Amino acid sequence: MFGLRLLPWEYGVRNLLRRPGRSALTLAGLTTVVFLVVVVVGFVQGLERSLAVSGDENVVLVHALGAGENLEYSSIAASTADLLPASLQGVRRRFGQAYVSPELYLGTQVALAADQPRSMGLVRGVTPAAYLVRRQVQLQAGAWPAAGEVLVGRLAAAKLGWLPEQLAVGRDLLFEGRSWRVCGQFSAGGSVFESELWCPLPDLQDAMKRQDLSLVALTLAPGAKLGEVQLFCNRQLTLELQPTRESEYYAHLARDYRLVRGLAWLIAGLVAAAGAFAGLNTMYGAVVGRVREFAMLQTLGFLRRAIALALMQEAVLLAMTGSLLATLLALVVADNAAVRFTMSAFALRIDGTAVLVGCGAGLLLGVLGAIPPSIRAMRMPVVEGLKAI
Amino acid sequence: MTVTNRIYPGLAAVALFTTLTGCTPDQPAPNAVTPSATPATASAPSSDGAKFLLAEEPTGAQDVVAVRAEAKNDDEVVVVGRIGGAVNPWVDGLAAFTLVDASAKSCDETEDDGCPTPWDFCCEPGLGKKKIAVEFVDAQGAVVLTDAKTLLGLKELDSVVIRGKARRDEAGNITILATGLYVKE
Repeated sequence: MFGLRLLPWEYGVRNLLRRPGRSALTLAGLTTVVFLVVVVVGFVQGLERSLAVSGDENVVLVHALGAGENLEYSSIAASTADLLPASLQGVRRRFGQAYVSPELYLGTQVALAADQPRSMGLVRGVTPAAYLVRRQVQLQAGAWPAAGEVLVGRLAAAKLGWLPEQLAVGRDLLFEGRSWRVCGQFSAGGSVFESELWCPLPDLQDAMKRQDLSLVALTLAPGAKLGEVQLFCNRQLTLELQPTRESEYYAHLARDYRLVRGLAWLIAGLVAAAGAFAGLNTMYGAVVGRVREFAMLQTLGFLRRAIALALMQEAVLLAMTGSLLATLLALVVADNAAVRFTMSAFALRIDGTAVLVGCGAGLLLGVLGAIPPSIRAMRMPVVEGLKAI
Repeated sequence: MTVTNRIYPGLAAVALFTTLTGCTPDQPAPNAVTPSATPATASAPSSDGAKFLLAEEPTGAQDVVAVRAEAKNDDEVVVVGRIGGAVNPWVDGLAAFTLVDASAKSCDETEDDGCPTPWDFCCEPGLGKKKIAVEFVDAQGAVVLTDAKTLLGLKELDSVVIRGKARRDEAGNITILATGLYVKE
């Protein structure tokens, strides 16, 4: 192949500029296809990252037996939050404060006012100890919630399908039959907590007329093992408790979303395939109009393979330009964009994988899209090609 | 002929190769636990666990429900049942598990049930009152620091007879501090 006499590199570049309208349209099509592929991969990456960073290996969730997949339905005795640190040596402590966070967690209807439409939101009743156990959580604005106040996650507005301004500090929300004032906003390192509303546990229990908890989250001390918590739960059979490592809980959720991931990859494949057919069509059109040019090049002594490579060069140049434009567009427009999803909201993640897959798809579109038209063009006899109009 | 003309097909080939080899299949999630419809095959008991194994089945074994109702703190008891009662009835790194009353039906004994973890007895009504905690203890009364599956060669749904001492707390929870084990056929 390297001994082949090739057409000059500039020839292909100039050819693209000779037909600016056709080239621009092809470029726009390829950019759209690669952009869609990058966004779909960014969706998968964002979903996976959201679940991956949510689980802390050292945090154990103690919930109701059999409710390990749906913590919203878990109900355990409120006394569990006191029993655990009193019975376990392996709970992390600092200055006498145990890293134990009793929580009430539920999905409920949230509205801005009584006459406004309601949206399904995720609410977590917490105590200040949640700040010790959920290490990713950082207060971005405002203050920790006092009575009647609620702290909103960075993506809570997206989860509710609202504008971020509607959850600004000072705004009022309605849920569980009472009004709550937004007192601040928190981030949580991209985890699922960012789509939640956090309010004081006693207030939420009062509002719901419940005295139980959904779960107790605790941090294991360095060197402590999950077995100690399992042993405690086994012994407290009347409480019907079950411990799950937080990382395993979210890994399990991630496995449940395998179908969603599979569908997303399928969509990416279909978009790329559609793009390939569109590219083929455009390239066929380009080749048909250049039959005489190819015949002339053969007359000058260029081999058919060299002309085919020049055609491929043009297609790849367009495809890679489109890929770069699409990547730039995705990084500006789609990266970190909030996406509402069934159980939470998460941010699209246009990372290295998304860029690599997108550009790879673009390159393949360029290469594969140019091969069939090149074969067709090269089959035509030189004399007929020179006479073609 | 320019150098560029010679190398650009090569560059295209390298780019294509890089793209094709740049993608790797999904790796399994860390800590992935895939439930299986059948319990894992039991391994042989370890040498440390052999001292707990009984050559003959103890007589006078009671059901789990009866022991929960009648046994007092420090009573010597013999209890029969099956290992299970949760998706993971074991305790990581400790010789302990939960035992379910022999009368309870596991999910694979229920018709038309496709439960991947039949040993959790999730189809059994009132399961909470039909199970008991079992801990194998050493001479000092401390739980043995080896997983029960490794120590005793047990697996989920094994039918076992346990000999030991009952420990009942103020809340009424009862734990068997086991010193002997007989695995039924």
